[in-house]
Amino acid sequence: MTMLKVNNRTLEVTSRPDRTLADVLRNDLGLIGVRVSCSEGECGSCTVLVGGEPCTSCLMLVNQAEGQDITTIEGIGSQDDLHPIQQAFIEEQGFQCAFCTPGFIMSAKAFLAENPNPTADEVSVAMSGNICRCGAYPYIVRSVLRAAEKLRKSSGQQAAE
Amino acid sequence: MNEAVVDESGTDGVMRARFDYARPATAQEAIKLKSQLGEKARYWAGGTDMTLLWQRSEIQFDHCIDIRQLDELDYISVEPDSIRIGAMASLSLLERSAEAHHLLATLSDITKLMCTPQTRTLATVGGNLCNASPASDLSPAFVAMNAQVVILGEDGERSVGMFEFFEGVNKTALRGTELLKEVTIPLPSAGQIAASYRRIDRTVVDIALVNAASALTVSDSGEIKKASIALGAVAPVIVRSEAAAQPLIGRTLDELDDAMLAAAGEAASKDAKPISDVRASAGYRRDMVKVMVRRSLADCVEQLKG
Repeated sequence: MTMLKVNNRTLEVTSRPDRTLADVLRNDLGLIGVRVSCSEGECGSCTVLVGGEPCTSCLMLVNQAEGQDITTIEGIGSQDDLHPIQQAFIEEQGFQCAFCTPGFIMSAKAFLAENPNPTADEVSVAMSGNICRCGAYPYIVRSVLRAAEKLRKSSGQQAAE
Repeated sequence: MNEAVVDESGTDGVMRARFDYARPATAQEAIKLKSQLGEKARYWAGGTDMTLLWQRSEIQFDHCIDIRQLDELDYISVEPDSIRIGAMASLSLLERSAEAHHLLATLSDITKLMCTPQTRTLATVGGNLCNASPASDLSPAFVAMNAQVVILGEDGERSVGMFEFFEGVNKTALRGTELLKEVTIPLPSAGQIAASYRRIDRTVVDIALVNAASALTVSDSGEIKKASIALGAVAPVIVRSEAAAQPLIGRTLDELDDAMLAAAGEAASKDAKPISDVRASAGYRRDMVKVMVRRSLADCVEQLKG
């Protein structure tokens, strides 16, 4: 029995230990926003936050995530209430087929928490662990910059209130 | 709010070796467990290499002993006479420790060349060293810095030089149930030390085609007291080139002109025993050793001259 804290819910997963976190999130919990493409930690599609840090969940054993806060794309916004980063990706069209997008957004979330006011070059470096085979990179960089702006505004508003 | 999810099969349909899992609370407990379980047990750190080997069925084991979250091995500390890096310090912790010491800044720059941001949070310094890849980015830097490793065993600790730690491709000085505890980088009691790492690659995620690290220790008057040059990806283990380093000792920083640095590169290149493979030919690698050594030494000189 493994206790996973996923998107603010505590879930008991009955699973063999010899499985990756990505596998369990997708196949047991139905969180298919966790995309698996390369299974080697190179493409970044399976990026989730574990304890706030971005991790390639295809390289993590499910038990290694036990007891830590896991956040997937499903946990940051909903259809009716998009996260500012999701909204920014739509506004800047930071995708084409969108297979890689959840991974990019999760990387962006961790990165913007650390660097709320990045340059385009810093965004490129921070997104270097995510691959977009459609090649939407220029739009992705703009999306992350716009997301940063949105997040700065909303945190400024919160501070003013 | 608990919800039970029952899974019996639920995998992606690929058959892989099955194993059970344990997460001991202390390093000593991990070692004890390994001695009970024997050969069929593997220590598991960040898992960024192990997961691949397991998924490709390249390793056989029955028990996973997870040491990744051992807090006692997860630290980076700067002390008057040394820098100590715990084996379970993540590459991302090392990346963020640049402010603490200029040698850590050099190591931080190296981590930025390694894998991707979201694998650096998983991968550990100890895991990288224990994997003993000849193309490792950290290994030559630690060898050039004259680092030692501390090894934990059933009967206590022992120290081994970083250079001696590597015994072959994927082979280290670890025996039986032993566990890597920390890397210790000695700091000079007088004068200054600088280190630099250079590599040839093509893009992020790539491994080095050739790499080299240099470290110079100078007295306050600018005389070179120690010099060390280490080469990676040109032999089954990291190569230490005495022939390249020795002529630099006793010189002053101002004497280290382009010709001297180039001569060091030439000498190092003779110590390299590269192979030709899909990534590069032996000849290219040997040529690039000259360039990497020259540039890394020039970096050190620049750092020391300030």
